Amino acid sequence: MLFLNGPTDDSGHEEPGHPERPDRITAVKAGVDDLHLGSDLVIVPQYSATRAQLSRVHEGTYLDQLGVFCYEGGGDIDEDTYATYDSWSIAQYAAGGGLAVIDALRRYNDGVGFIAARPPGHHALRDRAMGFCLLNNVAVAAASLTSEGERVLIVDWDVHHGNGTQAIFWNDPNVLYVSTHEWPLFPGSGIAQEVGGTNALGLTVNLPLPPGATGDIVRRALDEVAAPVIDAFEPTWVLVSAGFDAHRADPMADLALSSGDFAALARTVAGFAPGPGRLALFLEGGYDLGALRSSVAATLSTLLGSSYQPKSATTGGPGGDMVNRMRDERLVALRQAQEVASSEEPSR
Amino acid sequence: MTALRTIAVGFDGSPDADTAARWAFELAVQVDAEVILVHAVGLIEHTKRQSVVAVLEDSVRTLIDEGGIEPPRVRLHVADGDACSVLLRATDAPINADLLVVGSRGQGAHAGMLLGSTSLELAEHSTIPLVIVPATRDPE
Repeated sequence: MLFLNGPTDDSGHEEPGHPERPDRITAVKAGVDDLHLGSDLVIVPQYSATRAQLSRVHEGTYLDQLGVFCYEGGGDIDEDTYATYDSWSIAQYAAGGGLAVIDALRRYNDGVGFIAARPPGHHALRDRAMGFCLLNNVAVAAASLTSEGERVLIVDWDVHHGNGTQAIFWNDPNVLYVSTHEWPLFPGSGIAQEVGGTNALGLTVNLPLPPGATGDIVRRALDEVAAPVIDAFEPTWVLVSAGFDAHRADPMADLALSSGDFAALARTVAGFAPGPGRLALFLEGGYDLGALRSSVAATLSTLLGSSYQPKSATTGGPGGDMVNRMRDERLVALRQAQEVASSEEPSR
Repeated sequence: MTALRTIAVGFDGSPDADTAARWAFELAVQVDAEVILVHAVGLIEHTKRQSVVAVLEDSVRTLIDEGGIEPPRVRLHVADGDACSVLLRATDAPINADLLVVGSRGQGAHAGMLLGSTSLELAEHSTIPLVIVPATRDPE
């Protein structure tokens, strides 16, 4: 069963010529339609995140400023990021989508959630919009879960590092953040040596991949570097920052995945979930509409067991040598951080 | 105080970045330092990276011609990333900057201080001295 949440009208958040555009949602919905889910598709009504829910991950002054900026007509926030008069309202619905879907998953205790909303969120910091993102949608959902005592794994397979999500949960022992991404690439963060803050050492796992890396390398990095950390963390929920811009047809980056690789990634990530009804995916990037449609269909098909046939998964790209290196670099950084942390503990 | 050997300048092609570069050139000539003009490639710029770099290289040549600085002492460094992150990493190899110089308003300052200013964020997080060169003002 798929619990799908998305905008009824996001046309107000658009800037002519900008790649983060309403057509993306049309493509995603077409990908869902390709699965012919029938009664296995449950549309979750829109829900606008409240200020209290947003304030768990964003500073109040930032929320005020963003709201006023939009109310006054919006404009360009930086060279990548824009807002319009309607963006504040649309972003609040995008941020609330995860909350509504999680509520539905809990009621049914079954199925998979998909928040097909925009603008995306994983670059948004506590106090700053960036990288097309205004509010951090996956972080709002994760923070809601941890406020109720849950332990949340966030897997971010967008081609760009989710610097905002990492920063928000840097020091939170109840959130494990795992990211596969191309590097070097915007936003520039996400090296393996970034391992988490003092209270959450080891709970940031970055898996940076070189341009041209294929799906087998992404899966190896997840299996060999991240999986042992995930097993030890024992998440009670799994949230996915599901960007589809690592697809080889996407214009924004240079990884070489196919729709079949997203199917394989979905299978891997589903294995991290503790049981049914504990997995939700959040749309992040993905700017080639055809690739977005087929990748969404491949991902959800795997999770729901439908008969959609994606392209074959890819193999043979560069980066195999980096998997061992990122594991070693991460361990050295973790050991050094632990030594610093223990030396700073007050002596009895 | 460490010797001033390398000056990194935030360079986005805006008039204010040009002003910051000119200021850095003057300082570099006085203290015999190298100037590295640092450009951060954003999400959208990545799709047209080659043409962006070509335009920036033209701008650098023009600035060098105007600035009275020896061309080998100036180079352009282009890195994918958020401007703030890229400039903060200028302290590391291969740049190893001793000083950061930025204009007070770059192309990224569309929404001003409300939603994030690179220069303010650098002031908060930079581990090396930072100079913010005021925007060029029309004397009229």
